[in-house]
Amino acid sequence: MIGGSVSKWTMSYFAMGIAWLFAAEALMIAGFGYPAADIAASGTLVLVHVVAIGWLSMCICGALLQFVPVLVGKALFSEAAALPVLGLLTAGLIALLLGFLALGGRLPPWLWLLPLGATLLVAGFGLFAANLVLTMWYARPLAAAARFVLVGLAALGATAALGTSFAWALAGYGGSVLNAVLEAGIPLHAIAGLGGWLTLTAMGVSYRLLAMFMMSPDVDSGRSRTTLLVGAVTLGLAIAGGLAAIAIQAGLDLVFVLTSICGVATVALYGRDVADLYRKRKRRVLELNTSMAVYAFTSLAASVVLGLALALRGSFAADIGAFVFLIGFGWLSGLVLAKLYKIVAFLTWLETYGPVMGRVPTPRVQDLVVEPRATKWFAAYFASVWLATALLLAGQAPAFRVAAFGMMLATAGIVQELLRTRTLADVTTNARLPQGAKLPRLLHS
Amino acid sequence: MTEYLDVDVRPILRAGGEPFSVIMAAVDNIAPGQGIRLFAPFKPVPLFGVMAGKGFDHSETEIGGGEWQVLFTPMEAPPPAPVPAAQAGGQWPEPKIRLDNRELDPPEPMVRILAAAETLGPGETLSALLAREPVFLFPQLERRGFNWLGGFLPDGVTYELTVRAPS
Repeated sequence: MIGGSVSKWTMSYFAMGIAWLFAAEALMIAGFGYPAADIAASGTLVLVHVVAIGWLSMCICGALLQFVPVLVGKALFSEAAALPVLGLLTAGLIALLLGFLALGGRLPPWLWLLPLGATLLVAGFGLFAANLVLTMWYARPLAAAARFVLVGLAALGATAALGTSFAWALAGYGGSVLNAVLEAGIPLHAIAGLGGWLTLTAMGVSYRLLAMFMMSPDVDSGRSRTTLLVGAVTLGLAIAGGLAAIAIQAGLDLVFVLTSICGVATVALYGRDVADLYRKRKRRVLELNTSMAVYAFTSLAASVVLGLALALRGSFAADIGAFVFLIGFGWLSGLVLAKLYKIVAFLTWLETYGPVMGRVPTPRVQDLVVEPRATKWFAAYFASVWLATALLLAGQAPAFRVAAFGMMLATAGIVQELLRTRTLADVTTNARLPQGAKLPRLLHS
Repeated sequence: MTEYLDVDVRPILRAGGEPFSVIMAAVDNIAPGQGIRLFAPFKPVPLFGVMAGKGFDHSETEIGGGEWQVLFTPMEAPPPAPVPAAQAGGQWPEPKIRLDNRELDPPEPMVRILAAAETLGPGETLSALLAREPVFLFPQLERRGFNWLGGFLPDGVTYELTVRAPS
């Protein structure tokens, strides 16, 4: 069978991811982690990993289990691996977070939790990556979007390797080599994770989803290959160059300058490709997922401008929190939320009505959603994120917590829309559940 | 003068076998410029789109007894990277329904193809033109017991799908 069926556990991944997003927002409202705490404090480590692993990685993994088979036209190598991965990632993240709390003195000094968490996460991500790589291996030659995912997975490997070495070093099992990597390598871990794994993967999947949802011709494969090549060079420079600099005990400044030049070029090339997808679309009226994605792209562009401005002002290190916040919540979270809105509706529609389609009248995908109502929540979300970024730059930690509260309210609104979609609550036609169609289960397809 | 490799799928089909992979293997094995002379117990219409996607023109002649000889000749300029995908078997008559779904918003093409497929009699076929490979449609067709055969046409952007009802 060619991979166009509904992946069983994708909704569970999304639900787990959303639960962690709420947790992250609650932490920010409570003033836990940056900016209330130092950027390197254990509370900040908790917050960053809740967002990067719990929320973003969980949702992207769920989406990839569904869409890699579509990208390559082959069924997933193992559908059975999806649930163990979800369990391993969740257990690993919890152990890691507890380890960070132990590190900060909020728990007894059970520092072995850090390597334990890292090992569970490596097992989870490793199983996940092996599943996708084998799926792609049997589907060669690879489509352009799938190549992005492959490079994203390589970056995930680098992120996990660096993170694991930090975990062992922080737990006191490091030795001089791992300690040296820990001392200078944290920015490399962040670049590999946020820039490589999360951003390159999101870029690759967005090429296909935007083309599908807007009826655009796929981006010319030569052009997307250039974008990917520059992106991969950026990562290679950052990780290999960074590690080499650490090995010869040189400073990382040159590595960061070269990485930022290549990184800006990657975003510019990606922006050109995305503008093309919008320009050449056949579906003239934008659906909510594609119009809200524009705000995510705007956030990505804005974070590049912000990063350059901070670097020129010489305050990049001091204000890095605002820069990372805008990438994490404006670009990545914004894109994931916008795409979830469509993916949940489409998969629910396919699961419910696919079996009876053509035999009885069925609602359209757009009948499952009420876009004007959802638009308000998305507008509130992006407004809160941009306000929060500005408040971070202005050093207004208390006001930042109010903006974080706005983010949580908006997220709750969006999630309520997703739940209504999943339960077909907004389908008003008589054909809501025609004979032979069943209401889908919330978390399992 | 084009040279042709003979491929006779009549014994395979008579034995209830699956000729598609044999034909594709032949396509992979011929030298550049070489063509394929196919012998089939019916006019293999769905194959024409697939072979066009691989860069072959066709010309068919009935050789009596309902059997056909088809010459697949390499085109002058091969099309850009065609992507064939297929699942075939048995006899494929001329399509009873032809749909042009290229201008429809997704997932409307899928809904229409499934609706039209439900009206086919046993063994009848329909053909549809699409703007992209309908990956979410395939599992639905397979679940209902339909066979299908699809591939991009030489223009590289039109996907031709032929669906055959279970006989």
